[in-house]
Amino acid sequence: MALSENAHSNAAPAVETRLVYAHGLAAIVTLLISVTFGILASVELLVPDLAGNPAWLSWGRLRYDHTQGIMLGWLGNAFFAFLYHAVPLLTGRPVTSVRLGQWIFGLWNFAVVAPGWVLVLAGFSQPLEWAEFPLAVDAFVVLALVLAIVQFLPPFFWRGLEDLYVSSWYVIGALVFTVLAYPMGNFVPELVPGARGAAFSGLWIHDAVGLFVTPLALAIIYFVIPAATRRPIYSHFLSMLGFWLLFFLYPLNGTHHYVFSVIPMSAQIGAITASALLGVDVIIVVTNLLLSLRGAGVFPRDIGLRFAAMSTIFYLIVSIQGSVQAQMAVNQAVHFSDWVIGHSHLAMLGFATFAAAGGLAHVWQRIPWARYNARALEWSYWLLFAGVILMVTDLSIAGLVEARLWQSAAPWLDSVRAARPYWIVRTGSAIPIAAGFLALLAGFTTGRRGAGLDEIDQTVGRKPVEHIAPRLARAASGGA
Amino acid sequence: MNGETGRFLRTSYVVASVCGVAFFVMSVALLGIWPGRVLEDETRRMSPEHPLGLSISEQRGRVVYSREGCAYCHSQQVRYLHTDMARFGAPTLAWETRFDYPHLWGTRRIGPDLAREGGVHPEDWHFAHLYAPRNLVADSVMPAYPSLFDGSSDRPRQEARDLVAYLETLGRARELAGPEGEARARTACNCPDDEMKQMAFQAAALNMNPARTRRQGAAPPLPSAGMDRGRELYAHDCAACHGARGEAGGPGSAGLHPKPANLAAHEYSNARLSYVLWNGVAGTSMQAWRDLSAEDRAALAQVVRSFYTPQTEPALPADITDLGARVYAANCSQCHGEHGGGDGSAVAELRMAPTDFRGTRPTIAESLRALRNGVEGTQMAPWTGRLSEAELSAAAYYVRGFFGKPQ
Repeated sequence: MALSENAHSNAAPAVETRLVYAHGLAAIVTLLISVTFGILASVELLVPDLAGNPAWLSWGRLRYDHTQGIMLGWLGNAFFAFLYHAVPLLTGRPVTSVRLGQWIFGLWNFAVVAPGWVLVLAGFSQPLEWAEFPLAVDAFVVLALVLAIVQFLPPFFWRGLEDLYVSSWYVIGALVFTVLAYPMGNFVPELVPGARGAAFSGLWIHDAVGLFVTPLALAIIYFVIPAATRRPIYSHFLSMLGFWLLFFLYPLNGTHHYVFSVIPMSAQIGAITASALLGVDVIIVVTNLLLSLRGAGVFPRDIGLRFAAMSTIFYLIVSIQGSVQAQMAVNQAVHFSDWVIGHSHLAMLGFATFAAAGGLAHVWQRIPWARYNARALEWSYWLLFAGVILMVTDLSIAGLVEARLWQSAAPWLDSVRAARPYWIVRTGSAIPIAAGFLALLAGFTTGRRGAGLDEIDQTVGRKPVEHIAPRLARAASGGA
Repeated sequence: MNGETGRFLRTSYVVASVCGVAFFVMSVALLGIWPGRVLEDETRRMSPEHPLGLSISEQRGRVVYSREGCAYCHSQQVRYLHTDMARFGAPTLAWETRFDYPHLWGTRRIGPDLAREGGVHPEDWHFAHLYAPRNLVADSVMPAYPSLFDGSSDRPRQEARDLVAYLETLGRARELAGPEGEARARTACNCPDDEMKQMAFQAAALNMNPARTRRQGAAPPLPSAGMDRGRELYAHDCAACHGARGEAGGPGSAGLHPKPANLAAHEYSNARLSYVLWNGVAGTSMQAWRDLSAEDRAALAQVVRSFYTPQTEPALPADITDLGARVYAANCSQCHGEHGGGDGSAVAELRMAPTDFRGTRPTIAESLRALRNGVEGTQMAPWTGRLSEAELSAAAYYVRGFFGKPQ
């Protein structure tokens, strides 16, 4: 809200708080369900004959529902909630239509996530990573994404636009490229066989994270930091550099999921090179973000900002880790192991979830009629923080142990036996994580109505600030 | 707030969108379409002319494999790495994947790679394993799939049959291509200097799965070993089928045909145990254990030998020995061999090699049981109707006499 008060103090557009609220709540409900799938899957590695092995509870189906639920249910809804808050503030224009918003909400949750889950459990799915929901559901995803473009992008292209925010760029990029990349990962491998299909699949595995999750998570961080610190982003030049390198390099990473495969070596090496450069890009982005955060501390008082700050740090770690593990010498050892599972949790649970939780906390404070419980959110932050660190450390070590056994002559089963203690700890890490998510739910559904606004008064303040607009916006409007 | 700025910003958004789309298109072209064309070309050149595709049943099995997420624990892609080749065999060539709609390469291995799984285990093993994995592999974490069966592992539903049929296709096309196909692919590859591509043809065997059984093959001798290690290994790897004390009553024995050997009812020579642990028993669910070290295999052999309680051998009258020899020569030697070596003239026709009595000596009770009842799941028939009681006993004693005799 603070962002808009500067440029459009006379005509601040209405944020559709009910859509923010609906998507926010749906995000947390689908999050809790997705996490339950994940916990059950992790328990089944310890107790494989859980509950008499009914087909719908088998490990593979839970695994499909876990990741699809996290990406589409939790992160998708959280991103929509954020967009309904941010787009009117970034553009000074309302979103296209409330009615359309209701349709998108209904499609996303009742034509995509819910039926997707049920169909997977019933045995209808496709065995493609980050694309497990069946084709019928994929059609609705594409439809919903197109509608989301209609909903959120026109405000950016309206006449009389005079502000430019990095956040806007990431929003536009994410929505446009997800619509392009989604069919490539979900439809093309069904039509193109084997190794050829795998090449496309590899692209999507990375694009799902790189073109959908990362830009929207960064859009949140780039939005929350200036809004909550009440200072512009440190350098607009670095912002732009980071943005362009990201959209140039991310799509070129995909093949690093199939290193040492039959896919042409030049494509593999190209992807590995792009992966290394991506690490450089992330250092640029994160440097800029951390400099923007200077003075706020590692654990800022404002909870939305605190989630965003830790998300930034996780983003740095996970990206450098990614650059390193794409390199052939590392990849040949840790590929296929729990190391990679640790990496993906650092990305989705560390970076993306912290950004989404930060974004939700930020927008929730600004819904005047929503319940808000600062104490619960405080608990949520620390529980999630502890859970992520425990889980990722544990899985990384497990991966190294497995990698070592696979490179030796030891029987395969030795690696399964050796992983067991680490899997026990991983399941244990679900306790703080699940508790953290329950606290997140409590943070948004308990407490006094309007307590969020009081929280803002105590942390960042609500008075308009003149110097908040980013530098380039001022430069573009004549350096006012 | 002036129109100039607005136009500039809108233009910049449009430029950005166009550039961004161009980046995306470039990535798809460079990492999707172009490699796809290279792979398509490789497939065309290196594939056998008529590779065997998947039957309807096998395709349905593939759907089961897909929907259960098998590919999320078992990759289907042997990488161009010596560590992968040593475990699984020849690296995957593009043409081998030409029928995979969609691919099932996978990015995680909790279980082993399955690209060359065909022919490693017999059908009954797969059924028993899918029905209750831990009945066969005590420390497995694989999910059980009882919903593919009607209440027991030897009553598979069509879906289980389809799935096992599909598993048997993994690696099949390359195996059927044979040495000729390999030579053809190698020539078509035309890559004598490309070290990595050459690796596809350099595996010691197409399928290096250490559990794969072999009908023939020399086994390395076993060193001496301690019992403690052997007992631990036996409990983890063997007891599920052969029973805790070798009595063959483990939970895994239920669905297997033939039943696991009763280790307490046979005396085995070290050479025989060395052979079986190295090669497995072709035609049965007894897999090879080549991935265990020589010391571990020796320790297991010692444990197996300890299950047998030596009996005092009765001195037999000459007429019984003569009768036994006559019965044996007339009825048994075709399969079990003139000198009991399991090398009779009919051996090549049999699914499972007949018992080699020089390395395996059944107890009297076991010998009589097999003669009277036959051995389920093998071509050893019951002889009760065809031989008299006296002839049965004589033969039962006679076969025990081969034990320990040289070749």
